Amino acid sequence: MGPLAPRGARAVSREWVVERLEADLDRFHLGPLDLTATPGRAVAVLGASGSGKTTLLRTLAGFLPVRQGRVLRDGVDVTDWLPEERGLGYVPQGLGLFPQRTVAGNVRYPMEIRDRPDAAARTSELLEQFHLTALADRRPARLSGGEQQRVALARALAADPGLILWDEPWQGLDVLARDELGLVLHELRESEKVPIVLVTHDPALAFSVADSFLVLRAGQVREQCDAATLLRAPADPFAARFVGFENVFGAESLQGGSAGSFRTWLRDCAGPEGVAFASPTYPAMPGTAPAWEGTVRSARPSPHGVTVEVATDGLIVTLRIPSPVVATVPKLRGRVRFSVEPDSIQSLGAPARP
Amino acid sequence: MSSGDGGPPVPRRWRAGPAWTVVQAVLSGSLLLLFLLPIAALFSYAHVGQIVEVARDPAVRAALWLTFFASGIAVLAALVFGVPLGYVLARRRFPGRSIVESLVALPVVVPHLLVGLGLFFLVIPGAPLYRFTQAIGFPVYDTIWGVVLVMVFVSAPYTVLASDLSFRAVDGRVLEAARSLGAGSATAFLTVTFPLAFRGIVAGLLLSWARAVSEIGGLLVLAYAVYPGGVYDGPVTSTISIVVYDLFQNGNLGDAAAVSSLFLLIAFALFVLVRLGERSGWVPWRRGELEP
Repeated sequence: MGPLAPRGARAVSREWVVERLEADLDRFHLGPLDLTATPGRAVAVLGASGSGKTTLLRTLAGFLPVRQGRVLRDGVDVTDWLPEERGLGYVPQGLGLFPQRTVAGNVRYPMEIRDRPDAAARTSELLEQFHLTALADRRPARLSGGEQQRVALARALAADPGLILWDEPWQGLDVLARDELGLVLHELRESEKVPIVLVTHDPALAFSVADSFLVLRAGQVREQCDAATLLRAPADPFAARFVGFENVFGAESLQGGSAGSFRTWLRDCAGPEGVAFASPTYPAMPGTAPAWEGTVRSARPSPHGVTVEVATDGLIVTLRIPSPVVATVPKLRGRVRFSVEPDSIQSLGAPARP
Repeated sequence: MSSGDGGPPVPRRWRAGPAWTVVQAVLSGSLLLLFLLPIAALFSYAHVGQIVEVARDPAVRAALWLTFFASGIAVLAALVFGVPLGYVLARRRFPGRSIVESLVALPVVVPHLLVGLGLFFLVIPGAPLYRFTQAIGFPVYDTIWGVVLVMVFVSAPYTVLASDLSFRAVDGRVLEAARSLGAGSATAFLTVTFPLAFRGIVAGLLLSWARAVSEIGGLLVLAYAVYPGGVYDGPVTSTISIVVYDLFQNGNLGDAAAVSSLFLLIAFALFVLVRLGERSGWVPWRRGELEP
């Protein structure tokens, strides 16, 4: 469709480009940020609470005024369009289902307000596709979390959105429902080719669905990359914890160590944002890497051995200790020696290592 | 959003000692008795025959009709003007908002005799509004419009406050979902906000109506007698509250009790009808279903 296409026309498989976007909500400032959402691809927006993830989605959806920058839909500037004109499916946190309408009533809503003649047929089609036919007459409050999520998705698709914006899709789901929803999202991306921007706290979802990642902190973009880069070079402590580093220390926690101490050694390895590393080696390998000593604070069993927290030099280090050597681990307040391979250390905030 | 079993949470209960149970029963029971006894006394004072007799009296019928008709118009006015005001208070931020909120609470706290007096000074001959009300065909003093005016003044705040609360309670995210799905702001209001706030608004309208039909203070000053004119073309009459007051003043206790009983019966019947309707589904959802 060209630039002259009417607003609100059937919008499918569009390309969305966000350029130097900036927005304000009360005292919070978001951006500037760039983002591209293309058909058949999903972007995961990551970040701690209050980092601006929801603000970003609400700005894209048209609920918050844009201060700077542009939002382009297939090259058309839609920055100032009203939410209802943008042709996108925004699923807010908590899903925003209509409590007074049935499942079928929810799914039919976008077609009802457009007076679409095929509303009834399309509704049953969508109910069928999302396995909701048996629940058609129920109200959302009587559904499980997974069922509610499917209703929200079916309803969003009923509007023929050119982009799905989904805030925390995993929230409140049990493991089975998560798997199922992951498949639905996958299908959505593959067959419907709808671009997806999803906000999540959940690494499993992000890595099973998303093609690229946007890490936000305090409204600023910390990192924008693919999965491999995120794993290899998480930009900040949040991203490092997100991808599963057991030991993450922000730059401020590394201040003040004495010469030759563990803390000082870590600070020397750290980038501007701090440092992250996976489990150190236990028992310490003499000679190959610097070895450190600490006091056992807690031990938790796991199928592969125990996970031990060790206090050393004012820092808490997490060690995964494999079953064969578990017997040699001292009990609470005992001393352990471990070594940290320099190769396993990831500095944070530095440019990605090639 | 869902608690799994779907039902409303069951309040936690503890085993209570007998003494504590007795204290609770006595304290709550006393208040309930206070509510119930005067009404029982009214009904026992009036014979059934007397109630039937006053029900046939054209003067009483005119008063009943006036009371219900005027209160109906007042409730309609509360709906038309009060609900939008409640919406504005719930959704808009503007300077002087707290002043507006205090203004809305004013009619609830001001003695109603003073309200009547204030309105009276506004519409007596020579007052600024006198010519205006005459000119547009809404003369106020001792007419049905006076009754309506007093009733709106004293009763509309309940609708405003109830709709304010109900609109506030509508989840903004549900609204944003609707907008994003293609609903313009007007459509979203009609299809989402209003239906979700509907129950609360109805409750407010019921309160407004109850307040309107029981009004007497302001009416004593502004519309003690109601002469035909405007939408009322019956004989000279008064609202039920004033009729009962007159009967009592004249020592006609039997008729006072009978008219009161008749009025209470009708009011109860209307109230029960509304409640039944609510249960049997003239609102499109069942009790408890809107709770998250």
